[in-house]
Amino acid sequence: MRSIRFFLLITLLATIVLVNFVAALQGYRGSMSEAQRLFDQQMVATAQLLSTMPASQQSPEQLPVVVEHTGPMAFQVWTEKQALLMRSVNAPETPVSAFAEGYREVNFSGFRWRVFSHYAPQLPGWVLVAERVDLRYQLADRVILESVTPILIGIPVAGLLIWLILARGLGSLRRLAAALQEKRAEDLHPLPLDNPPEELLPVVSSTNALLARLQESFERERRFSADAAHELRTPISAIQVHAHNLERELTETSAAEKPDSLQKLQGSVERMAHLVEQMLDLYRTTPDHYPARFERVDLYALAREVIAEHYAGFACRDQQVELCGAPADLCGDRFALSILLKNLLRNANKYSPQGGQIEVAVNVLSERDEVELRVEDSGPGIAEAEYARVFERFYRVGGDRHVTAVEGCGLGLSIVQHIAQLHHANIRLGTSRFGHGLSVQVRFPLVNPVGENSVSESMQERATKNV
Amino acid sequence: MLLTSVIIILREVLEAALLLTILLAMSRFIGLNTRWFLLALALGGLGSIIYGNNLAAISNAFDGTGQELLNAGLHIFIYALLLITTSLMVINYYRPGCRLSLLKWCMLLAVMSSILREGAEIYIYLYTFHTQPALFGSVLKGALIGAGIGFSIGALLYYLLLALPERHTLLITCILLTIVAGGMCSQAVQLLIQIDWLPSQMPLWDTSALLREDSLVGQLLYALMSYEASPTPLEVFLYAMSLAVMALTLGFTHYVYRSHAHVPAVAH
Amino acid sequence: MSKYPVACMGKFLLLILFACLSLGAARPEIKLEIRDHLFLPSELVVPANTKIKLIVYNRDPTPEEFESYELNREKVIMGGQKAIIFIGPLKPGEYPFFGEFNPKTAQGKIIAE
Repeated sequence: MRSIRFFLLITLLATIVLVNFVAALQGYRGSMSEAQRLFDQQMVATAQLLSTMPASQQSPEQLPVVVEHTGPMAFQVWTEKQALLMRSVNAPETPVSAFAEGYREVNFSGFRWRVFSHYAPQLPGWVLVAERVDLRYQLADRVILESVTPILIGIPVAGLLIWLILARGLGSLRRLAAALQEKRAEDLHPLPLDNPPEELLPVVSSTNALLARLQESFERERRFSADAAHELRTPISAIQVHAHNLERELTETSAAEKPDSLQKLQGSVERMAHLVEQMLDLYRTTPDHYPARFERVDLYALAREVIAEHYAGFACRDQQVELCGAPADLCGDRFALSILLKNLLRNANKYSPQGGQIEVAVNVLSERDEVELRVEDSGPGIAEAEYARVFERFYRVGGDRHVTAVEGCGLGLSIVQHIAQLHHANIRLGTSRFGHGLSVQVRFPLVNPVGENSVSESMQERATKNV
Repeated sequence: MLLTSVIIILREVLEAALLLTILLAMSRFIGLNTRWFLLALALGGLGSIIYGNNLAAISNAFDGTGQELLNAGLHIFIYALLLITTSLMVINYYRPGCRLSLLKWCMLLAVMSSILREGAEIYIYLYTFHTQPALFGSVLKGALIGAGIGFSIGALLYYLLLALPERHTLLITCILLTIVAGGMCSQAVQLLIQIDWLPSQMPLWDTSALLREDSLVGQLLYALMSYEASPTPLEVFLYAMSLAVMALTLGFTHYVYRSHAHVPAVAH
Repeated sequence: MSKYPVACMGKFLLLILFACLSLGAARPEIKLEIRDHLFLPSELVVPANTKIKLIVYNRDPTPEEFESYELNREKVIMGGQKAIIFIGPLKPGEYPFFGEFNPKTAQGKIIAE
């Protein structure tokens, strides 16, 4: 069955046609035999009338009287001795039927006739009344056909109505299909179908129950990761403090060098702390849950701040950081945007070699109503085939055998992607203008569709302040 | 005129619709697209008009036996096509995708021949009355009723066949097609007797008191299996033979391919 | 066991042979006319238990279908054409036939005696 609607239309229509047409035929046959009975009665009446006519009582010596009568009826009046007394002009001079009471069908004068033979005792003799079969049949046919015609016309109307009714009846099914189809993968809200029909109720309720369970387990997973990261923070800071104390105690009590293992311990703890921070950032910036506070942000100024914050990192590797472009106001969440910038800059810092170049550009693309942030580094870059995968959580190019031997946790770009989604921005990766490095391009819409209201409010605020 | 028209059109439509329906359902079952069916409809319709327009010349051919010879030929042709079609269906059941284009062509030709034969009669009948406006309305309405009943039975049968449990579909379709094919042979024999190519004999029995040929059930049975109230021994014999040939062929094909299907490819 | 079908087939072939041989044999010819959607004559008397060659002339300009359920015969006769239909052998009795295109008027019967 390809389509329920088509199947129902065809089978319903076929059933209606079958039942109605057979009923119509039955009706036609019934009416036809009734009509024939009426015609027969008429013939009997005519025969009785003819047997009382004075002409019928003429003596047989006279020539038979020929009545100028044409049309669907013909008649003959015979004496008992089978002499023709009277006939209509369309009847032959020979007996048209046997002299025996009853109805017969015969051919004469080029037509088929139904003949009623009637013995009239008052004559005494036979009256034969004939009626043309084709004409009496056509007459009855024409009358009865009038009652059949509406049934025929009704069928296409019924078909159209059934088609429309089916569309109405299957509407909820179609709406359910559409609702399921439109559902985005991360949208786990219940299906928006109010008052589903009884038949769809199990489908809708079980789908909604499934979605709710999914939502719960996602929520649990997110909470767990976030809570775990959060809970890890305190012991990690404690370890850091203890390691620091240990270092001081060791270097103060004895003038010996700091032990190698302590150095490694501090490095590992540092990385762990970073990982936990990144995980927290990742879950914090998940677009579904992030409590964004959109406001007017000058991305250029923000970039300058973030670069300044991390200047030490660039300086210790002799890297040149250049910020170019112009102030660019956009509507966004200041905290999220600073995390985005931090992650991009940290990546550039990590992967660019000692003494490498990094360029950060912020430009307003006024013809497209977009603000473009570009971070270009002079590192090894990423092969084009990997572009899609680097946004996956914990994915690192080349796995642990990364060419630059730089350590990282593989969450930076996932966080960047979350924040970009939050701002309806899109990210494009490419090769940087330094030839081999990575270029990350994030384009923010100037007017954020989500934060539009808050933006206009804050802009108004600003305007009033300026005045 | 209505009743006559209904009977004539219903008989012809029903005969074609049964074959069409079974083959169409089978085609759906195997998973063929229905383009062949539309082509067969178009060709059959065109052919029946050509046949109808040239019936006088065809009738006069072969000493006035052209009409019977052509019709008998068409019936035997359909029988042969149905024999091949059902065999291929059985083969396809065990080896999906085997000789599908041959199967498609057989079904196309069978449907086309059936429409050509039945359509020509409808065409001649309607053409006869289209010049008599007094009767044409009644004839046309009768034709619509007859066609409506015929196609409705076809449509319901189609969905009935598709609704069958899959493991029975092939068996039931093959039985139905065998009965239809036997009817084709029986009609061909009838026509050959009519022109004295086959000897005519005293009827073997007469069941017209039990079931008249012109009753609705009689018409249905005529369409399905060419019901004859008073068949001659030769007709009965050839009818049984045609059924037996088809049943044995199908049984044999089934036997061969089933045993092949059970033996894995190691044997080769 | 296998002998029986063979014998049957042999009988059948003989029958066909006989039929072909008898093709040329003379048969009583009976003429029937269709005029104004009427069969003329509307009653035919034929010998029983004999094969008969029925020649039907359609004098009308419109086609007619000669049909008889009792005789198991069916043939379309175009306007102004004639048709040859073999019937019989018939047991004594009445065998109605009719013109299917005009069944109300084109009625007739064969009486086998």
